[in-house]
Amino acid sequence: MFDQPSNLAPQVETPVTTDHKITAENVNVHYGDTHAIKDVNVKIDDKTVTAFIGPSGCGKSTFLRCLNRMNDTIDICRVSGLIELDGEDINHAKVDPVQLRAKVGMVFQKPNPFPKSIFDNVAYGPRIHGQAANKAELDEIVEKSLRSAALWKEVKDRLHAPGTGLSGGQQQRLCIARAVATAPEVLLMDEPCSALDPIATAQVEELIDELRENFSVVIVTHSMQQAARVSQKTAFFHLGELVEFGETGQIFTNPHDSRTESYITGRIG
Amino acid sequence: MSLYLESPRTKKRNAAERRFQSYGLAAIAAALFFLVVLLGQIIGNGSGAFIQTRLTVPVTLDAAAIEKAEGSMMKTSGYRKLIVASLSAEMQAKGIEAELDSKAAKALLSSGAPNTLRQHVLANPADIGSTVTLKLAGSSRLDGYMKGRVTRESISDDKAITPAHLDLADELIGVGLLSKGFNWGFVTGNDASDLRPEQSGMGQSVLGSLAMMLVVLAVCLPISVAASIYLEEFAPKNKLTQFIEVNISNLAAVPSIVFGILALAAFIQFGGGTIGIEAFRASAPLVGGLALSLMTLPTIIIATRAALKAVPQSMRDAALGVGASKMQAVFHHVLPLAMPGIMTGTIIGLAAALGETAPLLLIGMVAFVQTDISGATSFFTDPNVGMPAQIYIWATRADGAWYERAWGGIILLLIFLACMNIVAILLRRKFERRW
Amino acid sequence: MIGGGRLIGRLHSFAGGDMSASTLILVLIALAALGFFLGRSRALASASGNAQALHSRPHFYGANAALMVLIPSLALFAVWTVVAPLSIKADIAQSVPSGLVDEGKSLDLLMTDVRNVAEGLDRAVVAGALTSDAALSIDTETTDVRALLGGVGVALGANVGPEVLKLAKTYRAKSASSSNIMTGLVLAAAMAGLAFAFLRTNKDFRARNTVEATVRATLIFAAMVAILTTVGIFFALIFNTLEFFQLYNWKDYLFGTTWHPHSGGGSDQPLGLIPLLWGTIYISLIALAVAVPIGLFAAIYLAEYASPRVRGTIKPLLEVLAGIPSIVYGLFALLTVGPLLLKVFGNEGLGWMQGASSVMTAGLVMGIMLIPFVSSLSDDIITAVPQALRDGSLGLGATPSETIRQVVLPAALPGIVGAIILATSRAIGETMLVVFGAGAAGKLSLNPFEAMTTVTAKIVSQLTGDADFTAPEVLVAYALGTTLFVVTLCLNVIAQIIVSKYQEQYS
Repeated sequence: MFDQPSNLAPQVETPVTTDHKITAENVNVHYGDTHAIKDVNVKIDDKTVTAFIGPSGCGKSTFLRCLNRMNDTIDICRVSGLIELDGEDINHAKVDPVQLRAKVGMVFQKPNPFPKSIFDNVAYGPRIHGQAANKAELDEIVEKSLRSAALWKEVKDRLHAPGTGLSGGQQQRLCIARAVATAPEVLLMDEPCSALDPIATAQVEELIDELRENFSVVIVTHSMQQAARVSQKTAFFHLGELVEFGETGQIFTNPHDSRTESYITGRIG
Repeated sequence: MSLYLESPRTKKRNAAERRFQSYGLAAIAAALFFLVVLLGQIIGNGSGAFIQTRLTVPVTLDAAAIEKAEGSMMKTSGYRKLIVASLSAEMQAKGIEAELDSKAAKALLSSGAPNTLRQHVLANPADIGSTVTLKLAGSSRLDGYMKGRVTRESISDDKAITPAHLDLADELIGVGLLSKGFNWGFVTGNDASDLRPEQSGMGQSVLGSLAMMLVVLAVCLPISVAASIYLEEFAPKNKLTQFIEVNISNLAAVPSIVFGILALAAFIQFGGGTIGIEAFRASAPLVGGLALSLMTLPTIIIATRAALKAVPQSMRDAALGVGASKMQAVFHHVLPLAMPGIMTGTIIGLAAALGETAPLLLIGMVAFVQTDISGATSFFTDPNVGMPAQIYIWATRADGAWYERAWGGIILLLIFLACMNIVAILLRRKFERRW
Repeated sequence: MIGGGRLIGRLHSFAGGDMSASTLILVLIALAALGFFLGRSRALASASGNAQALHSRPHFYGANAALMVLIPSLALFAVWTVVAPLSIKADIAQSVPSGLVDEGKSLDLLMTDVRNVAEGLDRAVVAGALTSDAALSIDTETTDVRALLGGVGVALGANVGPEVLKLAKTYRAKSASSSNIMTGLVLAAAMAGLAFAFLRTNKDFRARNTVEATVRATLIFAAMVAILTTVGIFFALIFNTLEFFQLYNWKDYLFGTTWHPHSGGGSDQPLGLIPLLWGTIYISLIALAVAVPIGLFAAIYLAEYASPRVRGTIKPLLEVLAGIPSIVYGLFALLTVGPLLLKVFGNEGLGWMQGASSVMTAGLVMGIMLIPFVSSLSDDIITAVPQALRDGSLGLGATPSETIRQVVLPAALPGIVGAIILATSRAIGETMLVVFGAGAAGKLSLNPFEAMTTVTAKIVSQLTGDADFTAPEVLVAYALGTTLFVVTLCLNVIAQIIVSKYQEQYS
């Protein structure tokens, strides 16, 4: 990455240096007539795991999908408010969601490997974004990504076997490797462990902790234990509102809002 | 790099994206273009069949001449003389100098005109002795001239009509004796022989198709409902059931001509020939209807099963819960709820059967039928044609006037198909249920 | 002729018996109605009029009796109607004097004559041209049988010889007695059924269960019609095809490269399958070349890009294209597309084309006809690809077209291949379009602007008109039909296996 020459985008304010990777201000989301997200303000730090928790239907996944404009793919969904990545408005007319999503990768709730080989799954992103100049580079990216997803040892001998033939936990790690391969700056994870058994969950959680060294990770989770285990920051959503946002330790031990307390003590959920 | 900048690669990728989308749009545009051209051709070429050229002739019904005509062998030739004389007189009265010789009369008047007059006289004997103004059909060539199909260049080799006749026709138009009107005969009439396209109509084949559709309905509806009820509600999951299901889906994809061969061999050769069932004879709408039934049955079964499947399990449970037998649950609750869906599927199946031609050719439903069908008993077994078969016959006569009839027949056929589909859609809308 | 009876078909055309088939059926229905009331009232009587005491509702007892009347008697009637003529025919065939068949007439033709004469005599009796007694004693010496029968509307090809007349008389006698026996047996069966049901009826009899079991059996029978149809197709094709191969060398048919049938040509005329197959395949290829890209891209656009409103407008319009009968496309090929192509590629243009009918004409129009078929099947298959895969790709920053080309289409490939195979099968089996658009002569040529013909078009041309069903040039149509059936069946089965595997994968 190189510094941006300011003459190329004169009408755009020079990015303010900030330690926040993503800033969201007054974000509202409407699904048709439903007001799904109400005035959410949040700042997400770099090289940190931020967890979004809350009862189902609280809007945490919807908000997550705003961060790489995946909601664009849903016809009836309207997003308003300001979301900035490194100080740049991601909903700006000049921003191509394709480029945004290369920077803000996403891992989904259910493992969704493409019906292709393991290698092609991981190489998919680098290929479409033209990130590898030649085969050797591509091989290197694939190996590095699989290693960082802690999958390399298990699949290195069968890179050309179909990705759909892996176990559920392996599939999800493959999807993480696939997301990591495009060298994103932010990794969004939408309940990445909900379809996995406890052992696979532990592996993926361990992986998330390692990913923190290089990425800003945002994870939506149903499980408060998981949020407590993997995240440094936690945001609690309820009925489309961001109720409380703070250090994970503080949220779980000393919540400021009564609703947060009710949720973590199991009274609402 | 900044998100606000479109990298060269993204630019290229977005261009590829637009190209790809444009392929899709182009494909849809192409399909719609074909649809428009096809419909345009049908309407452009076929609407002429619904228009008929007519000569307005005040015919003086001379009692003696009529008596003489009725007494002779060729009854119509007497009437013909009457028409020609009256027309000649009328032309002179209107100041046309050209003479109407017998050749010109033959070139301009339909050979069916004398019969039209005769039928009028037979129906209205009181008119004898007076003068009645009749609109008599023009010949096929004259009809073609009026519609622009026949020109002075195109008849250079024609023996039946000459440019002088066309000049005469122009004069007749000038004095208002020659006009065009809606051709009811095309909708209600019968086929006519090779040289008289202007007298042919679809009516007979409409009846033939109606007879076949009644047979298809009578055969397919009960069998498909019974088969579907069995397969959806009662059939155990075993090899036999599976075999039946495979059979149904395969039959749905068997080419229609194969059903023609089946009908020929099973109904006409074996049933009508070897066993001697008299109703099973070539060209009978009964046999045509049975052939179409076998062809349509799988389609209707598939639609019926879908309709039964759409009835929620809770309806069955509710009936069984109050002590109904399974049979009662199905016949009292599931079947009535599925009925709109079944009817929709059946109508769509019938529409497909109505347009089918190939099986009809093999069982000889290309009969030349000129006489009226009378009496309900022969409605199903007397030789007849169906609408698509009639269109086929006309198209094989390879002549401009017949092609016009064939296209016109297609318009009529498509109107019927459209009506059936609209009924099906309305039925679906009206009874559409949200469970 | 009994007027009203012909509506159902006077099933037994030579029923010389006292009762015609339709009357018999009416009697059976009346007996069934009687059975209904008897059964119902006996059940009620057995419970002393208290319907609550019955095992089943009263009408089930009635229905039980009615079914017991109808089922055995109708079954007997149906079997007898089919079997009796066959056995009579076999009987008569045995009594044919040996000289009669050797005169170069086949037994089948002779039997047809015999039946025609017998039928003619029946008609003459009904029409009053002959008394029943005179019909029994008629002979060729004193009567011109041909003229007599011609007078009642039965046209005979040749004069009636004394042997044929004698056989016809035997035939009538046997038919009449068979018909009488049948009437008696059927009525006996009906009465026995009625008696059985009546005696069995009492308040504890499980009438509902019995009736329901019968209804269930009827349902099963209806479901079996699909199998019966397949069996029917099989027999219709196989018998006639075998007959053809008795007259004609199967190798010459399967591998012959010329097709040039002429009537009376016997087994020497060239009836090679290859040119017809080539025409069929060539036309299908052109049709697929038109239909697959257009249909597939239209489906992709509708499934992936179009807004619900656009989709809701375009899909029905494409369905209109699908609902137009194939004869319309045939005329469109013959009268619109053919002449148009001729203008460009004919002698006044490039000089590649001689007439309006050609492989290209038929292929292009068939392609248009198949567009909606391909697009609606592909649409179903593309929309069945899980949204998760699209999300996965879009989430990595792929454009929609990259997602479609690299993820959705590869995932949908098996299904799309299945759809294309089904379209191929459609193209191969299409008849009316090629009858008009393709041409009449079988040819082996690579020029797509030449007229060629197809398997289906030749089935039609060989089986229509005045077909002599013993000649190889007519029987070959059945061999062609078998070929067509086998090829399309294989394609359909393959396509179904592929598509059902595909659907399992994503369900």
